[in-house]
Amino acid sequence: MQETKVVRPFPFFRAGARASQPQLSKPILVLEDVYKFFRPDQPTLRGVDLKVERGEFVFITGPSGAGKSTLLKLVYRELTVDEGRVLFCGRDICRLTDKSIPFLRRNLGVVFQDFRIIDHWTVYENVAVALEIVSMPKRLIRSRVAEALERVGLAGRGPELITNLSGGEQQRVAVARAIVPEPALILADEPTGNLDPHLAIDILTLFEEINATGTTVLFATHDHSLISKRDHRLISIDEGRVLESQQGLKHWPGSGIHTMTG
Amino acid sequence: MDLKNAIVRARRGLREERRLYVVAVTSLAVAFICLGATLLGVTNLDAAATRWGQSGRITVFLKDGADAQDVAQLGVVLEGLADVQEVTHITPSQARNSFLEEADVGADLSALPPDVFPASLEITLVSGVTRERSESIASRLAEFRAVSDVESYGAWFQKLDQLLWGARMLAVSLALLVMFCVVAVIGNTIRLAVARRRQEIEVMKLCGATNGFVRGPFVLEGMFQGFASALLAVLALLVGYLVLHEPVDSTLAALTGSRVVFLGAWTLVALLVGGALIGAIGSAVSVRRYLSV
Ligand SMILES: Nc1ncnc2c1ncn2[C@@H]1O[C@H](COP(=O)(O)OP(=O)(O)OP(=O)(O)O)[C@@H](O)[C@H]1O
Ligand SMILES: [Mg+2]
Repeated sequence: MQETKVVRPFPFFRAGARASQPQLSKPILVLEDVYKFFRPDQPTLRGVDLKVERGEFVFITGPSGAGKSTLLKLVYRELTVDEGRVLFCGRDICRLTDKSIPFLRRNLGVVFQDFRIIDHWTVYENVAVALEIVSMPKRLIRSRVAEALERVGLAGRGPELITNLSGGEQQRVAVARAIVPEPALILADEPTGNLDPHLAIDILTLFEEINATGTTVLFATHDHSLISKRDHRLISIDEGRVLESQQGLKHWPGSGIHTMTG
Repeated sequence: MDLKNAIVRARRGLREERRLYVVAVTSLAVAFICLGATLLGVTNLDAAATRWGQSGRITVFLKDGADAQDVAQLGVVLEGLADVQEVTHITPSQARNSFLEEADVGADLSALPPDVFPASLEITLVSGVTRERSESIASRLAEFRAVSDVESYGAWFQKLDQLLWGARMLAVSLALLVMFCVVAVIGNTIRLAVARRRQEIEVMKLCGATNGFVRGPFVLEGMFQGFASALLAVLALLVGYLVLHEPVDSTLAALTGSRVVFLGAWTLVALLVGGALIGAIGSAVSVRRYLSV
């Protein structure tokens, strides 16, 4: 129903536009009574309300099929809500036209479980692509990619082919690609799912370092050993609803998370 | 759209999809060669027709018992016409001799008596006289008393015109067919290329690439394929022309007095630009269909 409305793209999501002061003071992400249906009788998300402040680190958890990925997809507009609103920096992104979606995505960094990097490209090329799409000058791209690679611990590895990298290193490349445009919000959809526990902690630490520089991070995972090691805000989705919104697993009531995830 | 970046990406695409594109370009080059060869035929036929059409000739056959005074009067009238360059009176024996010379037939014809051949006036028109004008001169001449028959070669030119028209139609239909082939073949290769680069496209879209950014390289690649096929065909035709035009010229020139010509500059430009354009259109259509961004 929302899609039928023709709305001009928000200037904020156009190239070169900067957020104004009032926009900066608002929560970076707000979901208001969001419904998403894949089947008419059974909504995947039902009435999700969520508010994420600027600079927060948020775990999103819940059993498989709970709708974690769906929620993130609504934010980067891979999917559109069926009811409710998703506000990014105070703007309703559900009303964005197809033409302005790219400009929304330039403000987001997305990392996946399966890395989604190009095997036959070099490390440098995989990271640089995020800046090339905005037609940034080559020299600037080079220095910013070098900086991003340094931040993820891959300094000087730019010329290497992806096929020569380990899984953990490949995920670091994906993270570098996500952070290189300096987005306001990072969405990580089980970024540690394909990595062994040791590497998972490394990657989590990497996201925390990124968060420490002011970037908001949404970290979806069902790995409780990971969640239990940290004291971040925890949002749990089950049967399409936000069950609890707590300050870390340590404060989780009762018998703990395991009863929830089954 | 960032053209420089699109070119860089298109070059990379061409390199990575080399094998696929070589097959497409080769098969399209064959199609372009067919079109180019037909155009070459049309060009040469057209050039010959123009040359013959402009070197206007009328032959006036005189009645057997034509009065010498009437013939002389006819000669005066003809010399007075601005369109006439030269009038030659051919007597029956001259006609017989030149016939025997040119016909190169056996001795049994040499027994032919001269009066089998009518006396005639060979009229050469000044160059540039249109065919309509020469027809009207011919019809006026037919009314003279001494004239038995006038040959203005109109029927012959009509046949040539029909032939030329047929050749042009062939070229047009071939051009349409080639266009269709280019759109289909390039559309298909681009569809394959899109499928192969699905991963890259997904990544670029995820990072916030616009449709134009994603589609641009593919359109350029299709454009290059169209251009390369046309260029390959033109080069092949040129080689063929350079190899063959000497021997063909020596026989054709003796026969008809004309020489073989290659495609005109504008035709070449049209072929190359057309190839590039249709290639771009083919890939743009394909990318629109298979690359829902
Ligand atoms: N495109 C789609 N079409 C139909 N159903 C879908 C689609 N995407 C997701 N679903 C359904 O929505 C539900 C939630 O899927 P989602 O991928 O969001 O779960 P998840 O929490 O990310 O699970 P996991 O932990 O396994 O990744 C699932 O039941 C899934 O079958
Ligand atoms: Mg998921």
